[in-house]
Amino acid sequence: MFALYKKELQAFFYSPFAYVLTALFMLIFSLGFVTSIADLDTNVLKFSFSEFFYNNFFYFIFIIPLLTMRSFADERRGGTEVLLLSSPLSVTQIVLAKFFAIVTVFLFMIVMSLFFPIYAAATGQVIWSALICAYSGFFLWGIVCITLGMLLSSVTGNAIIAAIIGEIVMEVLLFLDRFASTRLVDVYPHLNSVITWFSMQRRFIFFSQGMFRLEDLVFFLSAAAVVLTLNVVSIEKRRWSHR
Amino acid sequence: MVEIRNLRKNYGKNPALRGITFTIEDNEILGFLGPNGVGKSTTMNIIAGYLPSTSGTVSVNGYDITEHAREAKKCIGYLPEIPPVYPDMRVEEYLTFCAGIKGIRRADTKKEVESAMEKLHITDMRRRLIRNLSKGYKQRVGFAQALLGNPKVLILDEPTVGLDPAQVSEVRSLIRELGQSHSIIFSSHILSEISAVCERVVIITKGEIRAIDTIENLEKSMTASSLLDITIEGDEATIMRVLKDIRGVEEIKNVTRTDNRLSCRLTLTEDKVRNAVMTSLVANNCSIVEMNMAKLDLEQVFLRVTAQSEKRTSLQDLLDETPDMPDNPYDAAE
Repeated sequence: MFALYKKELQAFFYSPFAYVLTALFMLIFSLGFVTSIADLDTNVLKFSFSEFFYNNFFYFIFIIPLLTMRSFADERRGGTEVLLLSSPLSVTQIVLAKFFAIVTVFLFMIVMSLFFPIYAAATGQVIWSALICAYSGFFLWGIVCITLGMLLSSVTGNAIIAAIIGEIVMEVLLFLDRFASTRLVDVYPHLNSVITWFSMQRRFIFFSQGMFRLEDLVFFLSAAAVVLTLNVVSIEKRRWSHR
Repeated sequence: MVEIRNLRKNYGKNPALRGITFTIEDNEILGFLGPNGVGKSTTMNIIAGYLPSTSGTVSVNGYDITEHAREAKKCIGYLPEIPPVYPDMRVEEYLTFCAGIKGIRRADTKKEVESAMEKLHITDMRRRLIRNLSKGYKQRVGFAQALLGNPKVLILDEPTVGLDPAQVSEVRSLIRELGQSHSIIFSSHILSEISAVCERVVIITKGEIRAIDTIENLEKSMTASSLLDITIEGDEATIMRVLKDIRGVEEIKNVTRTDNRLSCRLTLTEDKVRNAVMTSLVANNCSIVEMNMAKLDLEQVFLRVTAQSEKRTSLQDLLDETPDMPDNPYDAAE
């Protein structure tokens, strides 16, 4: 399993892929950072990194499907899926190895983004505890998006289509959040509570406020586990009904 | 040893395999023949554990491919039709990766990779990106991958496709050499290749086994008395008329003329017709210069077997079709 993980990581880092995506990610961050600083209230001179994360979600969700689109689609197209599935590795191991490789790239991006708080700390003061909490929320949220992107890559079998459908799904997830607070949904409290429960952004808000709730941790991790399981199932299913 | 019992595979409602049973013995090279699209690659994919079968079992060295997948797959080296290589990797890097997913111990990896590269003569290419290699080299990299860890069973789906003649003969002698210590199943379109390398062949059409025997026996059994190579001296028009008039001469082929001699191959309905051919020719003042019973080579056997009508002729054939037969009907025939 480690061999596959290593190969996946190499595919990201030996090609410009990981760097281009990280650059894009950094660009989005730095633009946000500059805007936040330019917009500082001259009396208080204070801005929130968490808010800044929150505002960047919209852009960020376009990066995740690009990261995941090739995971299974390229194996199928290149005929290398045979190699993996006829090796002693189980499908679960294959899915996990790929998942951890993408998570590693994602972590790499997050670590790069630490540049901004570190830079801010050099010239001012940063509340690290709140920041770490926001980062954890951001990380967990990203993990769920990665599992969704991988699932789409294995279902569609075409990297470009996987990326486009990925964008759509991410968009719908963001939309859910706004939809939950509409007047229409407010009329039906049950519907509201269901939608709110699924809305990942709502959960992120707690993290961004410096609240590390076990409930949210469990939600994100179990959502990731469920989608990964679906991923395994979808690959197995395709083997059984091949063509 | 690999035992394949009553393998069936449906793609949706279309049956691709309709109950295939055969065995690959230890240290044997089994040829796998059939026209395109009759289930050869499907069968190989199932044996290698890539696709599950709809029903039936495959056991590799005693391990069931679905129930003990890990153990079974460790005994298998598989070269699919399209070599499963990553274009962005270097040859050595790719083979090291393959050794990793096959669970070869790290200490042995280097040695294994070296020996596989040496066997396929790709050591010079170790630092090259696979995307820049020619088709023949890609094929050899794929083959090297199958040899990693020295698995007892090798499944080779058209291993010589895309190779130049010199490479083909190299790979063939490699397969022959490997056959001394491995069980190999080997499919190819090139029949001369199969007859050069394999002892036994399985011929399948439309998802069913048509014939399974040693090449020698197949050629013998099909040689059928019914082919006659004959050279006759005399007037051509007369000869052709006489031959056509004989009841029992099905077909006259390969007619060639030299001076006033005419050579051709006759297909006879049965042995006895031979005498009729002789007497009629002699009665019409044509002298027979040469007459030979023709022997079918594998190619002709193949064409005959695959052209056979699907109609079942005997009770045994009908029984063969019944699923869950306790015994392998083909074993009994051997």
